[in-house]
Amino acid sequence: MQNVLSIIFCLSLFYLAVTSRVKTYVTVLQLQGIILTVLLLYPLIDHFSVPALILPATLFIVKVYLIPKYIKRILLDLDIKRIIEPTIQQFSFLLLVISTMTVIFVATNILSKSTEIETIPFASGFSAVAVGMFIIIFRKKLIIHVAGFLVLENGIFLFGSTIASKLPMMIELGSLLDIFVVVFLMGIALNKISSTLSGFEATALRRLKD
Amino acid sequence: MLLLAILLPLISAAACYLVKSIRAQYYLSLAVSVLHLAFSFSLFMGWYRPGEFILFSADSLSQLILLVLSNVYFWVVLVSFAYLRRTAISHSVSGRRYYFLLLNFYLFANTAAILSNNFGMYWVASEATTLSVAPLIYYYRNEEALEAMWKYLFLVSLGIAFAFIGILFLMLSSNGTVLEGRQLFFDEFAKNSALLNPIWLKASFIFIFVGMSTKIGIAPMHSADVDATSNSPSPVAALMAGSLRITALLGVMRIFQIVTPSSVHDFARTILIIGGLFSLFVAFVFMFKVKNYKRLLAYSSVEHLGIITLAIGIGGLAFVGAMYHIVYNSICKVVLFFIAGNVHREFKTREIAGVSSVINLMPWTGWLFLLAFFAISAIPPFGIFFSELMIFEGMLFSGKPWILVVTMFFMLFIFINMGRALFQMLYRKSEHEVILKEPERFDITHFASIVLLIAVIVIAVVSPDVLREHILSISKDFGIIL
Amino acid sequence: MDLNTLVQGIVALLAILILSPLFAGVINKQKAFFTGRIGAPVMQPYYELKRLLRKETINANSSSFISDISPAINLIAVIVAAAMLPVGLAKPLISFEGDIILFAYVLGLARFFQILAAMDIGSSFEGMGASREATFAVFAEPIFFFTIGSIAFADNLTSIYDIYHSIKLNNVTYIVFIVVCSISVLILAVTECSRMPIDDPNTHLELTMIHEVMILDNSGVDLFLYQYSSYVKLCIYAIVEASLFYPFAVQNSYVAVIIFLVVIAALATTLAVVETVTARFKLKYVPQYLLFATAIGVLNLLIYTFTK
Repeated sequence: MQNVLSIIFCLSLFYLAVTSRVKTYVTVLQLQGIILTVLLLYPLIDHFSVPALILPATLFIVKVYLIPKYIKRILLDLDIKRIIEPTIQQFSFLLLVISTMTVIFVATNILSKSTEIETIPFASGFSAVAVGMFIIIFRKKLIIHVAGFLVLENGIFLFGSTIASKLPMMIELGSLLDIFVVVFLMGIALNKISSTLSGFEATALRRLKD
Repeated sequence: MLLLAILLPLISAAACYLVKSIRAQYYLSLAVSVLHLAFSFSLFMGWYRPGEFILFSADSLSQLILLVLSNVYFWVVLVSFAYLRRTAISHSVSGRRYYFLLLNFYLFANTAAILSNNFGMYWVASEATTLSVAPLIYYYRNEEALEAMWKYLFLVSLGIAFAFIGILFLMLSSNGTVLEGRQLFFDEFAKNSALLNPIWLKASFIFIFVGMSTKIGIAPMHSADVDATSNSPSPVAALMAGSLRITALLGVMRIFQIVTPSSVHDFARTILIIGGLFSLFVAFVFMFKVKNYKRLLAYSSVEHLGIITLAIGIGGLAFVGAMYHIVYNSICKVVLFFIAGNVHREFKTREIAGVSSVINLMPWTGWLFLLAFFAISAIPPFGIFFSELMIFEGMLFSGKPWILVVTMFFMLFIFINMGRALFQMLYRKSEHEVILKEPERFDITHFASIVLLIAVIVIAVVSPDVLREHILSISKDFGIIL
Repeated sequence: MDLNTLVQGIVALLAILILSPLFAGVINKQKAFFTGRIGAPVMQPYYELKRLLRKETINANSSSFISDISPAINLIAVIVAAAMLPVGLAKPLISFEGDIILFAYVLGLARFFQILAAMDIGSSFEGMGASREATFAVFAEPIFFFTIGSIAFADNLTSIYDIYHSIKLNNVTYIVFIVVCSISVLILAVTECSRMPIDDPNTHLELTMIHEVMILDNSGVDLFLYQYSSYVKLCIYAIVEASLFYPFAVQNSYVAVIIFLVVIAALATTLAVVETVTARFKLKYVPQYLLFATAIGVLNLLIYTFTK
């Protein structure tokens, strides 16, 4: 089951690489949130316990409802243009994502011969980290940077949940805390940025250069 | 008792939220900082030996860095009230309301990070320190401050995420060994590190190092820190330069401590040396073209933390020198930023070209600036001279003396550039007359600077045994026997 | 090859040849239904083809022998490709090791001659269509190899019949894998047969056509050959897609035929719905759309090598 969910996760990453609409980023983030929630709920089918339900529920509420709502409100308030203008062509971006994913999968396969890890979720999570980094590097809008950071977080969560099956509580809480806090403050920062800065591109952040 | 020391700043932060008068907040924070300083001093001297509380404990490294933090924090709080009353840019009312709240919260988070004894707690506390410092950077509420805060928050959060990946890899490296499934306690991992899987350990070290380097402010990801330090109000910049970077360095040192008994040790040392040299290179390059004196000081921070990282990587006598350097560097940086704050307040600009003949117009500030510059540039009898001497000696007797040559080359030019900028500011006569509103008075920043500079000389010359024993025990933890 | 398989293969090929215009007619009828029209009768493509046979063939003055031979070569290549497909349980007429490559490139040969003939006419309309078709073919080619090829790679089989027969739907990851492959092949089918959202088969304006414009100046028997071969090509790709779902575990041949027909009908509905709902892509988005399908194929390959 983990494999199937990771495959869908990777497909969502491809879709993220091809799209040129800003709202699609929000939808894909919601989809990834749903995938991660299902991933957490899956072991509960065998041994069900109510306290273990708290984490998936919180995850669902935060990732699928709160964060997209917040981002959509920022999009509306700041009247951000609906199409993102990428720094490199979409085609080359997708090609870069494909080649990085191939490298990561092959490397994971080689590594799994020495350590026992589940290759597909691990490699999917790590490629999500890579795709998140590429989005941050290659896109110009600031809100897309925040979305890229969230994709990175989702990737960390995915491959963390495969590793940390023996030490669940702390690591998961740490991940969740990260998202909560980061998006909150970034949102507030973004709101203030809009009212002082006229453009909304990362290229406008050039004031502080030497 | 440990827990009380951590929770007390949190309680006072809550109190600052409720109390409206800034004077009352100031006295409260000052009291808390004095108590904190007393606590860490007694911990350091060994008068009080705490037990272990579940996630917190205090070994030699923690005690040293806690003392550094307390010291820096005390002086920053002391100076803050006078600073808040007459800032360089006056429309920052809302910033004033939250200033002490955030400072107390920062103390809470930082103390928790230093005293933590496992990676999970350290990581969470480290994130909390970032969150507490970021709104402080935005104190002036103008566009540049906003941009600095955004960049800082974003890049440091990215770094923290990378460090988290490193922590996950550390957990992965313990698969199949005794440590599997246990919390990531430093001492347990350090004892058993020969059992850990080396591939994952290497990956973990790299990720934690790169992730934390955004917070430490060394290359490759120093830019956020430099921007943030140069755009924030001077007490906050002093706080960041003096204590925040060191706490982040603590994280790297902990993973280095874990890695030391294992086969990854040489690899880790190489990474640290490369990181340190690269930071020196970056500071060297950027010092040539910097036009803003606070940015100059920020790059000087990059340089000194690069030296510390380099020295930790080289090990041996250089490591001992690095520990001394941590102490002296934080004190000197605090002085420098206080003085720079004074200059900013009078001249209203951060450009070097806009400041002239400080020594004539503001004699106290000018002379202290000169002395602080001497202190940070390793001129005796200030302490940095002795610590750098130890570092250089360690580098000379390590297997790679060429590192010493490269380092001294970079440091020479950094010294020249910094001196040039400083002497321009101090002595140059400007074209138009600068009239100050009032002649300069001796105020609390000057008092603080004088005390700290004297402290740097005294600690270095007297070289108390307590300090020496602590540093030697830290070195033993890291596998260095002298 | 014994007589039974030979007869089965011939019946399969004849079925494709005879029933392919019907498939196109069914799609058109469903499109009409979705847009609220009654639409042309289902047998309309047959009437069109019969009408074209009666007309006179005219070629441009500037064209050469390419325009004479190309329609015939086109149809023959497509029929050869149709002879390599496994319809139902029948073993195809042409089947040997490595025939997957022949399949892809026989269709490529057909396309090649079509492009040449289009450029041969000498009008800029056809030249534009030819250049667009050539570009899209470049990006569409890896899709086929990465999707069908990843299934082939799993068991080291290279004959289409063997590949399809090796699909056993017994484990969940494999089922997801096949579903994902089929999405990719659907995108490929849409591209190769010039349906929406790549090309609009209904309009004849220079902005919206790619395939239609290449045959704009043909008439009579030539046009009959081109139209018929495009119907057969559509049917071929429909069978390539449908065979992915066809449970070859079913051994009773009559039930197999019925299931097969049901799947083909579902595919016709899918194509009709897609054509009704989507608009044509801007041309500059087509390469990344096709690269997306290739990416799915690459992902399949990566995943399949790790879940043996």
